[in-house]
Amino acid sequence: MSGLNALWQAILVLVGGGAIGFLYKGLDRKLAARLQGRIGPPLRQPVLDVVKLLLKENVVPRTAVPWLFQAAPFLAFVAAVTALLYLPVGSLSPVLHSYGDLVLLLYLLAIPALAMAVGGFASGSPYAVVGAQREIVMMMSYEFPLAIAAVGIAWRLSTLGIGPSFSLATIAANPLWGLVGPLGWIGLFLLFVALLVVTPAELSKIPFDIPEAETEIAGGLLVEYSGVNLALFYLADVIKTLVIAGLVVALFIPYGIAAPLGIAGIGGKILDILFFLVKLFAVIFVAVTVIRVAFARLKVDQVAKLYLLPTTLISLAGLLLLVLDKVVMGG
Amino acid sequence: MRAQEVLEALKEKLGDKLRSPELKVEEIGHRRIRERGFLWAEIEREDLLEAVRALKELGPLHISIISGADVGEKIELIYHFAVGYGTPDGEVMVNLRLTVPKDDPVVPSICSVLPGALTTEREKIEFLGVEFSGIPDARKIFLPDDLEAHPWRKDEPELSQYVRYTVAWEAKKDERGEARA
Amino acid sequence: MKEVRLEPEEMSEKKLEKTCPTCFEVPIGPIHPALKEGIRFTFWVEGEKIKKVDIRPGFMHRGIEFMGTKRNLVQLIYLAERICGICSVSHPLALVQAVEEAAGIEVPPRAQYIRVIIGELERIHSHLLWAGVAAHELGFDTLLHYVWKVREPVLDLLEDITGNRIDYAIPIYGGVRRDIPPEKYPKLKDALRYYRSLVDDFVNFFLRDPSIEARTRDVGILTREEADVLCAVGPTARASGLRKDVRQDWPYFTYPDLEVKALTPEDMGLEVRGDVYDRIVVRLLEVVQSIQIIERCLEEMPEGEITSVPKVAALLAQLKKAEGEGIGRHEAPRGEVIHYIRLEADKEAPVVWKVKAPTYSNFMPWFPMFEDQEIADIPIVAASIDPCICCMERVYLVRGEREEVVWKEELLRLSREKTKRVASRLARHAPWGRKG
Repeated sequence: MSGLNALWQAILVLVGGGAIGFLYKGLDRKLAARLQGRIGPPLRQPVLDVVKLLLKENVVPRTAVPWLFQAAPFLAFVAAVTALLYLPVGSLSPVLHSYGDLVLLLYLLAIPALAMAVGGFASGSPYAVVGAQREIVMMMSYEFPLAIAAVGIAWRLSTLGIGPSFSLATIAANPLWGLVGPLGWIGLFLLFVALLVVTPAELSKIPFDIPEAETEIAGGLLVEYSGVNLALFYLADVIKTLVIAGLVVALFIPYGIAAPLGIAGIGGKILDILFFLVKLFAVIFVAVTVIRVAFARLKVDQVAKLYLLPTTLISLAGLLLLVLDKVVMGG
Repeated sequence: MRAQEVLEALKEKLGDKLRSPELKVEEIGHRRIRERGFLWAEIEREDLLEAVRALKELGPLHISIISGADVGEKIELIYHFAVGYGTPDGEVMVNLRLTVPKDDPVVPSICSVLPGALTTEREKIEFLGVEFSGIPDARKIFLPDDLEAHPWRKDEPELSQYVRYTVAWEAKKDERGEARA
Repeated sequence: MKEVRLEPEEMSEKKLEKTCPTCFEVPIGPIHPALKEGIRFTFWVEGEKIKKVDIRPGFMHRGIEFMGTKRNLVQLIYLAERICGICSVSHPLALVQAVEEAAGIEVPPRAQYIRVIIGELERIHSHLLWAGVAAHELGFDTLLHYVWKVREPVLDLLEDITGNRIDYAIPIYGGVRRDIPPEKYPKLKDALRYYRSLVDDFVNFFLRDPSIEARTRDVGILTREEADVLCAVGPTARASGLRKDVRQDWPYFTYPDLEVKALTPEDMGLEVRGDVYDRIVVRLLEVVQSIQIIERCLEEMPEGEITSVPKVAALLAQLKKAEGEGIGRHEAPRGEVIHYIRLEADKEAPVVWKVKAPTYSNFMPWFPMFEDQEIADIPIVAASIDPCICCMERVYLVRGEREEVVWKEELLRLSREKTKRVASRLARHAPWGRKG
């Protein structure tokens, strides 16, 4: 693929991804409102929010470390956008599929959270410092199950002799559900559950919105951010939601509908993309919207003890079952 | 507990330290008539702590509030206690009246017996300019830290100036053409 | 018995610096999303643990007691009503009792029943409001929207009976100002039936929800002994196991006829722990209790006059002659309200008026509740006593950025200037504004 071609694709994915991200954010807010018995904001509200933020003054507090404080939002935004380029869309390969793999994507996903923590520490507000401490604790608890789920699947694929096994395109093209035995099936299901639980934590949504906790620490990490910087964090969140949901889809439900329906060519590709978007929406609706209206915010130690420790154990059990499956099925 | 019993028990414990006790018993209710009792008495500041201890022995003790007023040469404080909560219709209001001269407005703090009285004692310090000996925390509570005046005192030159100013300004509303709310 | 620490020396900042060098200060308030009114908490925390707390009220002081001594007694009722917007009938009820006591005015039985009904309806709406706020503090907004939605019917009912959703202007010395005619009974009974049918839902949503239980169990504990010596009142005291309720302990209105009992979590078969969860339990129990009280009132309410002195002019004349002192107490939704009043003959205004709202008594119990809690617990612990800072303090002085006092006149002038400035700027720049 020529560089110019990749550039066009990247622009297409970013613009399209941004639009879809805003649409899903609006849908999330609207549906959450309907679930709570409210009317909710119009669908275009997230766009209006960002436009308003872009017009606002950018305040840097006197107690902040200015360059770090200003750099953090850009870092978060750039990392989230880059991660979007590693995502397979429908039956299309990711734009940057030849420049990195699943492991890189996991690192890219960790950067926005880290950048927020750094920005929080750099802003010099006690609320932000508390928020940053909480973000770090949260990361330590949710990164492990996420890594296990991703690596487990890639490893099982490599034992089946399908490669390059750590490439998301390969994983998406070869759904593991049909390739493993019953034990592996259970293992995969456990990993799927673990990843769904991790999703709201990764996105800092209730019940895991502890680092931001409006009623406790007044927005925590983001308390000192305003204007463009806040808009960048907002955009990073919008994109990251897409990426995480896309990762869940690519790892566990990568099926297309064009092939079974026997539609080939450009029509089939468009159909697959549309189906991919429906799957993305389903994941966001289940893992973000519904969970966020059904729970109260937890405390950080409760998250570590009650939710993410069992999730880690579940994901480890899933991995173990995959290993056993390999032993039974003989690779 | 009946109001009469409270009065007798207090008289027995405090003797003539309880000055001019006055008992007011009313009947309340339409189908079932119940008695409710107010006990009013005066007390010297030296005997206050003893009286509160005596009240505490009589039953569960609750302090509702200390109310106060500037009565010319002296400051009057009224301690409103409720003795004996927890049993139906068993509470008796005991109101102990205490006067202190303005040049020596020191009253013993009852926080050692009833820590819950701290809020109301702190309020009396800033509003009436009394002092409580032995109070664990004498900082301001409701008024600004830099306000020297005591709003309920009638002899405060600084405050009366503020009040005159505000009242005069309120009175000129019609001249300014504002409708009275 | 756990010793109650009050000595500031013991936990002074200097000592804290020595024993806890990693502690840092987290100010909450006077303006903060967790607080609905201005009050400042200063927490010294180590990691997430609270080591020391200092609370400074005083941001909402309006000098109402002082204002009260500049008004006549009938005007005073409406001032008392505005001490608090939520318990807006509790203060007038306590005030009219105090004045009736001082002036020796009788109240006809029907009026007393009506006072009880309005008071209990207010308790239902206040407890529902609190439940919504508590859910919001826990980050459970779905429950907030649900509870506030079901709170609307009781407000509509109050509007139907009294003419206002809040600030009902119902009590007057010697009775009430409006009757509840028998035609309105079915409407009242329907509303009560509606709330009765919701009780199971409330129990499910609040008491059986795992995430709420995780956030409120063993959080903000106030032991029975602490509640006793610190003179806690209302649901806060009852949740700690004290059977303390003015309606039970102190006969007034028709409460002795209605046999009201102070409710603690034991009445639901639970062990008393004195935590936030228990405070939810007590408030839910009290909603049910209020429904029962109103139903009984509707059955027993006798016919008759609703006021002993129907003419306000005659009332004022009688009050002007009155001399004496009076105390009025009422169990507001948040706890004990007490008004003390002193009247002198030939004076229309009271000489002394002292108001105590429930939060005033529940201020001290905050200290042991916050001890050794986490930052995440601050909002719900602060909200658990259902604080009403305005009630407690009743702006007198408003300060600008500079260290000087800005008076009401100056403030009004400044705010008008700003409005003008903003308006002219809008007119110039906004596309919808007029040019010029």
